[in-house]
Amino acid sequence: MMKKYFDDLVGGIDTALNKDPANSSPRKLYAREVARLGSRLYSGTEKVAWCGVVAPFDVLNAMGVTSCYTEFIGAMLASTGMVGSFLEKAEHEGYAGDTCGYHRAVIGAMLNGWMPEPDFLIATSAPCSGGLAVMETIADHFKKDLFVLHVPQDESESSVRYLADQIRDMTGFISDHTGVPLDRDVLKDAIEKTNEARRLMEEVYQLARAIPSPVDGRMLGNFGIVMALLLGTPECVEVIRAFRDTFAGRVENRTSGIGKEKLRLMWIQNRIQFRHPLIDLLEKEYGAVVVADELNAITWEPIDPEDPFEGLARRSISIPFNGTIDRRIAHLKKQAQEYKLDGAINPCHWGCRQGTGARGLITEGLKEIGIPVLNLEVDCVDSRNFSEGQLKTRIEAFTEMLWERKKAG
Amino acid sequence: MISEDNMYYMGIDIGSLSCDAVLIDHDGNRVAATVVPTGARNQEAIVRAGDEVLKHAGIRADAVIATVSTGYGRDRVGHRTAAVTEITCHARGIRELNPDIRLIIDIGGQDSKAILLGDDGRIVDFAMNDKCAAGTGRFLEAMARTLEVDIIELAELDHGAREGLTLSSMCTVFAESEVVSLIAEGKEVNEIVAGLNRSIASRTLSLVKRVASNFDGLPIAMSGGVARNGGVIRALNRVLNRGIFVPDLPDTVGALGAALIARERAGEKTLVSA
Repeated sequence: MMKKYFDDLVGGIDTALNKDPANSSPRKLYAREVARLGSRLYSGTEKVAWCGVVAPFDVLNAMGVTSCYTEFIGAMLASTGMVGSFLEKAEHEGYAGDTCGYHRAVIGAMLNGWMPEPDFLIATSAPCSGGLAVMETIADHFKKDLFVLHVPQDESESSVRYLADQIRDMTGFISDHTGVPLDRDVLKDAIEKTNEARRLMEEVYQLARAIPSPVDGRMLGNFGIVMALLLGTPECVEVIRAFRDTFAGRVENRTSGIGKEKLRLMWIQNRIQFRHPLIDLLEKEYGAVVVADELNAITWEPIDPEDPFEGLARRSISIPFNGTIDRRIAHLKKQAQEYKLDGAINPCHWGCRQGTGARGLITEGLKEIGIPVLNLEVDCVDSRNFSEGQLKTRIEAFTEMLWERKKAG
Repeated sequence: MISEDNMYYMGIDIGSLSCDAVLIDHDGNRVAATVVPTGARNQEAIVRAGDEVLKHAGIRADAVIATVSTGYGRDRVGHRTAAVTEITCHARGIRELNPDIRLIIDIGGQDSKAILLGDDGRIVDFAMNDKCAAGTGRFLEAMARTLEVDIIELAELDHGAREGLTLSSMCTVFAESEVVSLIAEGKEVNEIVAGLNRSIASRTLSLVKRVASNFDGLPIAMSGGVARNGGVIRALNRVLNRGIFVPDLPDTVGALGAALIARERAGEKTLVSA
C-alpha cells in the first residue's frame, strides 16, 4: 500500500512537470525525490537501513543502501493525515501519550506492520536519547543488527577522531550485511556531490536572506534535514540547484515569496508536519513569512573526498542540538542577525526535551538581541492534540505585538 | 450629518462565558458597557450585547463609526471593522484605565494570560495557559457547582480560612474529585475555597514568571471576569506580595480596549484587519 502511495505520488508529480515544464517548482522536485525515497524504502527489493538523524547518509548512499531516519516515517504519516491510528496503537501498547509524537508514530507503524523491515540499523546517540531507544526497539522487534554511532558533544580533535573511527567501522558493518565492500572511488564521487550540494545550499540560504526574501513559509520547510538523506547523490544536487535558480531569479527581480513581506520570522526546531492553517494565517493576514529555519543552516566545512571520515564526523557533531545550549543559542542568534528577523516561533514540540527543555534560555538568549520568541505548545506530529483556536490567538497576538514594535521603530 | 459630538466606537469581546460590549464617544469616554452570557449561540450573544449597549447609551446603530471585535469568537462578529486579539485589547484597555501598569493578569472564562508592557505601554511579551481550563472561570464554575454554592457567593467564602489547605491537582476534573474528597473528610467550605484560590494564584504566578522572572516594582493589574472574585484577588495579592489594581467592570476591559482601538484606527483611516 505505501509503495503504491509513493509511486502514485511520483507519477502525479511527473505528470504535472511534463504538462508544464516551464512552471516546475523546486518544491515539486523536492517532493518527487522524497516520494522516490519512500518508494524505495517500501520496495522490498532494496537493502534498507533505518538510521539515526545524524548518520552519514552519503556513505550509505555510496554503499547502495536505501536509508532513512525513523522520524521521517512519523512526519510522513502526519503529512498524509494517517498518523492517528498509529499513535493510538503505540499508546495501547503502553507508550505514554506525552512522549515524542515522531517516535510514537514510528512504534505504532512498526507494530501495525507499516514499517519496512530493515536489513540492519545504524543509530546515532545524537540528537536525542529517545530516538536511540526507538532504534533499539525496532532492532529488537525485527531481530536485526544495530550499529550505534556514539556522537560526542564537543568538536575537539579527539572527539572528531573518535567518531571518525566509528564511521570507518560502520562501513565494515555495512559491508558485512550487504556483502559489498566499500568502493573508495564511489565514496569519493559521493563526497564530491555532497560538497557541491553544500555549496549550493549555502547559496540557497544566502538568497533566502534577501529583503524581500524569495521564500514563502513552506518552500524551505524540512529542507535541510530532508536533503541530508539524499546527500552524495546527483538528485540532491539537482533539487538544491533548482531552489537556487528559482531564488536567484526572484532576488534579481526583488520578488517576495509571499507578495508583500512585512514581518520576517524564524521557525525553531522542526515544523508542524500535518496540514494546518498557521503559515497561511501568518502570510495572508499579517504579511509575516517564515524566512529562516533553525535547521536550514550549513554548520560544517567541505569534506575532503580523499579522506572523508574526519569531515563526516565533524558534520555530525556540528548540528545545533549537539553540545551545550550556549552553542545552540549562538547559532540561533547568528541566524536571527543574518536573516534580519523580527521574531521567532518555537513550537516546543510535546515530549521533546530539546524542544521544551531549553525554551526559557532560548527565549532569553534571543531577547538579548531584541528578537521576541513565541513559545507554542504543539505536538508537531499528533494532529489530535492540535488546538487551532488557541494557537491562532497566540500567533495573532504575537504578530500584533511585532507590528507595534516595528511601527514604533 | 454625523459630527464628532455624535460619533461612537464599539468594542465587542466575545468570550466563552460572556460577551461584553463597550461603547465610547469620540473623546474616548466610556458611554455604556454591558455583559451578557455567551450561551450556546455566540451569534445571538453578539447581537444582544450590541443592542443592549446601544440601548443603555440611548444612541442609534448608525452613530457607531467603527467596531473592533476581540475574544475567541472575534471572527464571528459580522459587522466588525477589524478583529484584534484579546491580548492586545486588554493591554490597550488597562493602559487607558491606569497608565502606570506594566503587568496584566487576565483570567477569563477559558484561558488566562500574563501580559508584560514596556514603559511606553506597548506589549513586550505575553504568555497564555496551555490546553487546560485550570484556574479559569470555567474551573471556578465547576468548583462552585461541586460545593453547591453560587459563583458570586464563592468569591467571599474564603474568609476565616486558617488551615492553609492546597489542592494538589489543578486539572478541573481531578480538582473536582479532590474537592469531593475534602468535603467527605469534613473540611470546612471556607478552607476548601481558600485552597482553590491559593492554587489558582500559584498557577497564575508561574504564568507571570514566564514573562517577567523578576517582577519587583512592576505595577500589576488584573482584568477578566475572574477579577470579580475577591478571594482570588486576595490570594494573588499574597503570592505576588503586593496589591494589584482591579478596575471597575474588569470583565469589560477587553471590550474597552477594542473600542479604543476602533477609535484610533478610524482616526488613522487604516481600517484594515491588523
